Amino acid sequence: MLTNNIKLAWHFYKQEYHHAHQRLLRWTQGVLLLFIVTLSQSSESIQNYLDKNLQGLLGADAVLSQQQTLSSAQFSKVSSLTNNVVMTQQIKATLTHNGQWQQAKIKAVDKQYPLQGELLTSRKLQGPSQQTLGGPALGEIWLDARLFASLSLNIGDQLLVANSLFLVSRVLQHEPDRLMEGHSVDMRAMINILDMKALGFSSDLINYRYLIAASTKQINSLIRWQQKNLPAAQIQHKQGDHPLALFWQRTENFIGLASIILFFMAAIAIEQLTQVHMKKDQYFTAICMSLGASSFAGIQVSCFKWIINLVLLLPVVILLSTGFHWLIVSWLNSAFVDLLWQWNYRPILKSIGAVVVLFAVFHTPVWFSLHGCAVTKLFNGENKGLSHWFTKISSIFVLSGVAITYSDNGLLTLMMVVAITTTIVLMILMSWITLTLGEKFTQNFSGLVPFTLFMMKQRIVSKSTQIIGVGLCTFLLLFTLMLLKDLGSTMASYQRQHDGNVMVSQATVPQLAFIENLAKQQGVTIRQAKPYMHAKLVAVNKQALAEFSQKPSESLATFARAIRLHWNESMPENNKLVDGHYWQGKEQPDSQNWQQISVEQEVMTDLGLVIGDSLTFVIDQQSFTFAISASHAFKPGAGSITFWVQMPTAALTHIQAPRYSMASLELAPQQWRLLAELWQKFPTLRMISLTEMTAIFDSILAMITQLISGFSFIIISLTCVVILASINALESKEKKKNSIIMSFGFSRSTCFRLNVIEWLVTASIAAMGAIVGTYLAGLLIYQSQFSLTYKADFIWLIATLFIILLLVTALGVYASRNNLRSSVRQLMSET
Amino acid sequence: MSSYIELKNISQSFQLNESTVTLFNDLNLSIFQGESYAITGPSGAGKSSLLMLISGLEKPTAGQVAYVKAEQRKTLDFLRADIGFIFQQFHLLPELTALNNVALPLKLRGDKQAINKALVWLDKVGLSQRKNHKPSELSGGEQQRVAIARALVFEPNFIFADEPTGNLDQKSATEIADILFACCQENNSGLVVVTHSAVLAQRAQHTFLLADGSLMDCSMAEAHNKQESNEMFRV
Repeated sequence: MLTNNIKLAWHFYKQEYHHAHQRLLRWTQGVLLLFIVTLSQSSESIQNYLDKNLQGLLGADAVLSQQQTLSSAQFSKVSSLTNNVVMTQQIKATLTHNGQWQQAKIKAVDKQYPLQGELLTSRKLQGPSQQTLGGPALGEIWLDARLFASLSLNIGDQLLVANSLFLVSRVLQHEPDRLMEGHSVDMRAMINILDMKALGFSSDLINYRYLIAASTKQINSLIRWQQKNLPAAQIQHKQGDHPLALFWQRTENFIGLASIILFFMAAIAIEQLTQVHMKKDQYFTAICMSLGASSFAGIQVSCFKWIINLVLLLPVVILLSTGFHWLIVSWLNSAFVDLLWQWNYRPILKSIGAVVVLFAVFHTPVWFSLHGCAVTKLFNGENKGLSHWFTKISSIFVLSGVAITYSDNGLLTLMMVVAITTTIVLMILMSWITLTLGEKFTQNFSGLVPFTLFMMKQRIVSKSTQIIGVGLCTFLLLFTLMLLKDLGSTMASYQRQHDGNVMVSQATVPQLAFIENLAKQQGVTIRQAKPYMHAKLVAVNKQALAEFSQKPSESLATFARAIRLHWNESMPENNKLVDGHYWQGKEQPDSQNWQQISVEQEVMTDLGLVIGDSLTFVIDQQSFTFAISASHAFKPGAGSITFWVQMPTAALTHIQAPRYSMASLELAPQQWRLLAELWQKFPTLRMISLTEMTAIFDSILAMITQLISGFSFIIISLTCVVILASINALESKEKKKNSIIMSFGFSRSTCFRLNVIEWLVTASIAAMGAIVGTYLAGLLIYQSQFSLTYKADFIWLIATLFIILLLVTALGVYASRNNLRSSVRQLMSET
Repeated sequence: MSSYIELKNISQSFQLNESTVTLFNDLNLSIFQGESYAITGPSGAGKSSLLMLISGLEKPTAGQVAYVKAEQRKTLDFLRADIGFIFQQFHLLPELTALNNVALPLKLRGDKQAINKALVWLDKVGLSQRKNHKPSELSGGEQQRVAIARALVFEPNFIFADEPTGNLDQKSATEIADILFACCQENNSGLVVVTHSAVLAQRAQHTFLLADGSLMDCSMAEAHNKQESNEMFRV
């Protein structure tokens, strides 16, 4: 029996192979599987690469880092707990040479460096690398090749750092502990640790890193000791997550979130196709049942047919994904050197398994409709009722599952879902209003347009499903493209308008005073200046941060490091209150009522915080617990310097810690020379000009462009599949309609014209819905996610409207040409 | 001035597996507006093909066809705007109410009075009470009545009906036949019915039998038989 059913399924599979509904199903499943399998293959390759790196290139078994030096007691304890400890110090400073400047990370090491791995240097810029034991001698500095080039240096030159001269003696090629510092593109320099002391930088600007050789057991006891005694310090070790791994996981999650869009489109396409599959399989089952078989046989044949389709699709998908995987690995080679292409069996099986289960859920309504139905009902092809709703509910269920699994940023996911829902509601309303009013107002006019509107209004349910399908795909495509286009231009113009052309990200109190004084003398405009101190979040509601949340998120990734804690007496102009009171108690909190804090809305959502929760920060080695009394959000129009966490000014009387400021300046072209003067005086002043900012931004944008282009290609493919599926779903109805129209004495060209008008109306509603949806999504997401006011380019939007109109109509008319191959004779032959 | 369709020496054949299948040869027929015709014959004889030729929707492989209107001879392409069809399967659009189904051809022609005229015709076929019902809520007989109203609402000169009672029980079939013939008469439309039903065929003024590739006028033989039986009765 089973063998017979499999044979029968194979027979029907072959028979339906070239039918549009099977072809479209194959395309939908193929595109989605290709995307997911390629993604999982590529990410597994990267994870393997990072793991391997972690084993060989960390330069230590563990690294303890913090903003302060260890006390001698603490150092002795660490030494006793482990085999060997080597101290390094790092500071970000600006180096100047012949009027040129460049910010770099200077590392100070002693003769014991490196602890593990190889330190490679060379005597010439293009010379061969040599393994080097110990760091530079006193008075010498080693620089990496990029720094050499940007400062136009040669070996033997003298370089000025904070009024001290250093001899440039070697080119720095490779530091073994570099990967442990995370994914950084900073330029590098190395000096002797004793020179660092002599330079006299303020100790709070230095990052102290202790490279430790230890066994796994020793690392575990070190971690226990650190958690108890140095909760604000960070420990990275071979057993832990690589900083890059976390970065990649978040990238992967973002792509995963984007894949919801693809799943959504696949769901629309499959939902449209399900109607045709349901009819075909119901008809077959009805024949089986009329011949004495049970409905179970029909379900079995339907299941086998579906399985055969997938099994034959998989080799093609695996072959293509292998090719794409190879291309991605080649492309990523610039960022991940020595990343190798390799087969990863487990992720292929895992991702295919998961996607197949999702496809099965999408297809369940077909099998569900075959179960327990009477022969007459099946012959009539009734597919409404329970199974109809089952389709919708199962699709929503699956999509929610995907969204929850991949969501990295709760607020962004919520906004994307809100934007999609709004667009759907909008398109339903627009379909209803346009068709109702259109039909009403054209009632007294003759011609094909009023007739088309009348017919569309009469078939509003099936038509609006098609409009939503097409519109949603267009919206998703448009949003992806718009994001790409607007992000760059809006960000650049906005920053120029509000933030001046130089951003100071960290200035100490004397540095800021000097800048203010200089600004007064030279007529430089300081647009904004806001104070802050470094604070490391260690616990939420007395629970350690690591235990509080395991899920990677934007906020959690930032809280892994010390954040900037701002203070003020009242709400800053560029913030607005979202929840709670800013500040509680009185107009201004007094000295007793200072342990309150306001947290940014997105952070609250990401970490699941509520008003009243307590946050414990370590600030300059002291622990302080604050209660969340308010939540704030960014309000555009008064500069972009804003802080995630803010406390009342009254807290300053209780917290003794180094204070810094962020500021933005507007420099006239002739004043740019002042920057060299500033950096020469204060090498540790963190300052970036807008041209540098846009250069960094442009390089990020270039990478995003490539990523989005590939993604857009997949979306465009799926959009076409959705349009074709929606046409296929209505094909039999359309053919019948055309035949009936011809039976009234009209020609095929009339049907063609009606078809063109119908697609123009469909495309207009879908395009308008998509554009309004994109506009709303822009308003929602741009502001909250990128702190930007979304300024829609209406000319661009209108141009897009016409392009969509043209393309959708052309595709719709072309794809529905089959519907015109109808005749009165076909109506006669239906008996 | 009534119009008519003329078919002279027409033949129809088609290719099947490299051999030619001939449906009929040298067939002559004239269909006049205001009169009713029934074409009967065994399955596969080519009744539907003949209907397609008469309506001008298909071309014969040989012979001449013409549409004579206001004493002017035209090709059958000019007939297209003057014809209506009724099918065995009714073929109403399921999303539309009875009223909107009937109004459909008028709307397509841009008639501003479409709904009012459709109401009149629904009343004529006795379905004004069910105007807002969708086809799925109507019985087979009622659906066919809507189809008749839809075919006649734009007052075509000719109506072609393919097995209009084929899917109905006897009672409904009689009712539909009554309505169909009465409406065509009232409208002065020519009616061509293709049917297997002898009862329905008998109601037409002209009955033809299409069999073995030729068309036989049964109305003459029938009239002759009728006359003979009357004479016998008199004797």
